[in-house]
Amino acid sequence: MIPFLVRRILQSLLVLLLVSMVTFSLIHAAPGGPVQIFLRPGLSPELVQAQIHNLGLDRPLPVQYLEWLGRLLRGDFGTTFKTGTPVGQILWPTLKNTVILMTTAWVLTLLIAIPWGIYNSTRPYGLWDTVAAVLGYAGFALPAFWFGIILQQIFALRLGVLPLSDMHTIGRQGDLLDLIRHMVLPVTTLVVINLAGYLKYARASMLEVLGQDYIRTARAKGASERRVIFRHALRNALIPIVTVLGLDLPGIVAGATLTETVFNWPGMGRLFVQMAFAREYPVLMAITVVTTAVVVLGNLLADVLYAVVDPRVRLGVRGTEPA
Amino acid sequence: MKRNRMRLVGPALALLLALTVPACSSKPAAPPQPPATATPPAAERAEDQPRDGGTLTFASLGDIVTLNPLFAQDTASGDLQQLLLARLYDLSPEGKLAVTENSLAAELPRVEDGGLRYTIKLKETPRWSDGKPVTADDVVFTFQMMANPEVGSPLLPYVDKVKEIKAVDPHTVEITMKEIYAPFELTALNVPVAPRHVLEGVAPRELQNHPYGKDLTRTVTNGPYRWAEWQQNQYHVLTRDPNFWGKKPHIEKVVYKVYADAQTMVQGLLSGDVDMATGIPVSLLGAVKAKEGLTVIEQPGPYYDYLGFNFNGENFPGGKSPFAGVKTRQAIAYAINRKGMVDSILQGHGSIINGPFLSSSWAYTPGSDVDYPYDPEKAKQLLAEDGWKPGPDGILRKDGQRFAFTLQYNAGNTRREQIAAVVQQNLKDVGIEVKIEPVEWSAWVEKNISPGKFQAVLLGWQLTPDPDAEPIFSSRYFPPSGQNIGWYRNERADRLWVEGYRTTDPAKRKQVYADLARELSTDLPYVFLMQRNEILGVSQRVRWKKEHAPVLSLPYGYFLRFVEYWVTD
Repeated sequence: MIPFLVRRILQSLLVLLLVSMVTFSLIHAAPGGPVQIFLRPGLSPELVQAQIHNLGLDRPLPVQYLEWLGRLLRGDFGTTFKTGTPVGQILWPTLKNTVILMTTAWVLTLLIAIPWGIYNSTRPYGLWDTVAAVLGYAGFALPAFWFGIILQQIFALRLGVLPLSDMHTIGRQGDLLDLIRHMVLPVTTLVVINLAGYLKYARASMLEVLGQDYIRTARAKGASERRVIFRHALRNALIPIVTVLGLDLPGIVAGATLTETVFNWPGMGRLFVQMAFAREYPVLMAITVVTTAVVVLGNLLADVLYAVVDPRVRLGVRGTEPA
Repeated sequence: MKRNRMRLVGPALALLLALTVPACSSKPAAPPQPPATATPPAAERAEDQPRDGGTLTFASLGDIVTLNPLFAQDTASGDLQQLLLARLYDLSPEGKLAVTENSLAAELPRVEDGGLRYTIKLKETPRWSDGKPVTADDVVFTFQMMANPEVGSPLLPYVDKVKEIKAVDPHTVEITMKEIYAPFELTALNVPVAPRHVLEGVAPRELQNHPYGKDLTRTVTNGPYRWAEWQQNQYHVLTRDPNFWGKKPHIEKVVYKVYADAQTMVQGLLSGDVDMATGIPVSLLGAVKAKEGLTVIEQPGPYYDYLGFNFNGENFPGGKSPFAGVKTRQAIAYAINRKGMVDSILQGHGSIINGPFLSSSWAYTPGSDVDYPYDPEKAKQLLAEDGWKPGPDGILRKDGQRFAFTLQYNAGNTRREQIAAVVQQNLKDVGIEVKIEPVEWSAWVEKNISPGKFQAVLLGWQLTPDPDAEPIFSSRYFPPSGQNIGWYRNERADRLWVEGYRTTDPAKRKQVYADLARELSTDLPYVFLMQRNEILGVSQRVRWKKEHAPVLSLPYGYFLRFVEYWVTD
């Protein structure tokens, strides 16, 4: 396990480095730039040049990259072009807001999807399975923003029972109840959208496992149905779900652009789009690094979880026979 | 990927809301009101008397960049400056320089030597929020920093004709100009002032990164409100300054709320989360008008869209601009259905514009500009007179050159996308082939606009109160060092622009700009297309007296007399 972890972490660092290098080059290679955003009548080319020079954008790209990397290694994401605000000051609060929203939605999705999926696998094509199938189609088909607006129309504008948008009532920061009220609609939107996929995974993977020989053996030797499901089938059925979990983890920091926009949630999805239009390279790079790190971490975590849910998986230990 | 999805949001949401909102609202839609006369009956009830207190929530698309007067230039920063910082001079509803109770200056500037010297007398009462007086030193410091190229202030062009600025005494500033430059008053004298005692020790090139204007604990202000709270990308809270030296506002607290998207913002207005919002998309206007308790104020806004020609032959195959003939340009103006654009694209919320001046400006003389009503037959006739003959493919030709050009606009701008489609169709009808090319804004500016390398563009201008537009139209301002991006040359107009700013006499200036309007609307450096309305949605709990109503043709005109507004309940 340990050598495996060390190897994977080293690989991860290499991936991070490569991704940052490619992103950095691509961002700078795109035509236009932060200074062009400022264009207004009377701004002379000399002034534009002076701005470009002040921002350090006229130096060779590798030099800019190495300086950026050097600062990053010291834990410094740099400052924004427009105002010189440290990037962390913008990034961390936004990240926190997104994590609060996305984690809640994610955990709720799992808490609903996994038990429901398992239940459906034991009674395929029953009433609840049909409900899940319909919901699944709807979930895949619904555009997030559209569903969000419908919820707003009903619960905020028509019934007036829930807030329309935002994260807090102004002046009530840190009031948990207020935060929860604001989370109901965006979280519902996200859960309904995401539920479909997880339900299908849980059901399908459980169904597959239930058809295996060892399940038949378990049943043959007289194990109760409950024991068969939870003791013999569940662990194996969880493996594909863990894979999907690992892949979805980055969403927790990257945020959901459309849902955040509709509900005016001050999160990462909104920030990324804003900053892309403003050509704030340092913020874009910081977002890339953080998201990539979580992608890599997510994959790593999934690998480790495989070992936990399925003892047959002995990661990176060569020459051992599967148990 | 993310960006592509975002682009879809705008139109898709708009369509949806147009469908769902009226269905959900319990009231039938209000009958359509004629634009520009739709005024708030509730806001002007005679029996209403101002009352103090209460909160007003104002919606903004986007957060501030900085409040520092040397650097602020985006709309959100400008909005907050209106409430937090006093200006040297304010604007009158007619868009002229004015002294109000809250201007730093005590009287209008004394102009001597025909406009070569300005003497500004300051009030003695103004104070910064830390108790220090606002003095002539602050004004001198502000102008010197604006003019210093190392500072990198975008306001540098405002002051580049200043020769010297000095404080005669703590409340008197004297400015000597290099040349007479009338627009100086409405640009450079209509600014907020930076606090010298906070910023004077900072190296000029470090000023932009100084926390002043970005960190509220380090930002002293001198306006009617104080900056009490800022949650980035969420909202600002401003509270009335109890010790304010000028006319105190009625409204106790202003919440300045940030939205990322216009549709969400309008939802906020409909739900009552927001009391005032500008820039309401035409597609959502029906829902706002139908909502009880909301009023829509609509006036021609300070911006126009135009179709810009390039006169530099290098941008065309064969080395010759097809737009060289004045009859050809007039033909294009006749061929384009501008009335139809106003009716369909702006849905009537705008008007045709014929020249570079807004009809709401004091510099505009009605009838001074030439109108080109939609007339494809006349267009064909003019094109024939200019020597264009239909080729085998139906497209006009002259001296072997086929009349085809590429029309660029900024990608993602739905209005321009629609205009481009109309232009393409209208010109096809008279035998001109138009290829449409949307380009991402920042790349477009760098590759096409700044260097003047394109064939034709759809662009717009937001106008400041002073009518001078020499940098846009004069041949002294060719790219890359100027904004005359189409390489337009007209010696008579060049002279008139100079004449227009070489006198500070408003009546004389008005005459010059009438001549210019006629000259440019005849010669057509652009086809001037349309001026769209500024649309303000406001809750009926917000009140003002008639004389203090918002003036939407001025920049920040919705805050012009904000201190006089009050809220009921």
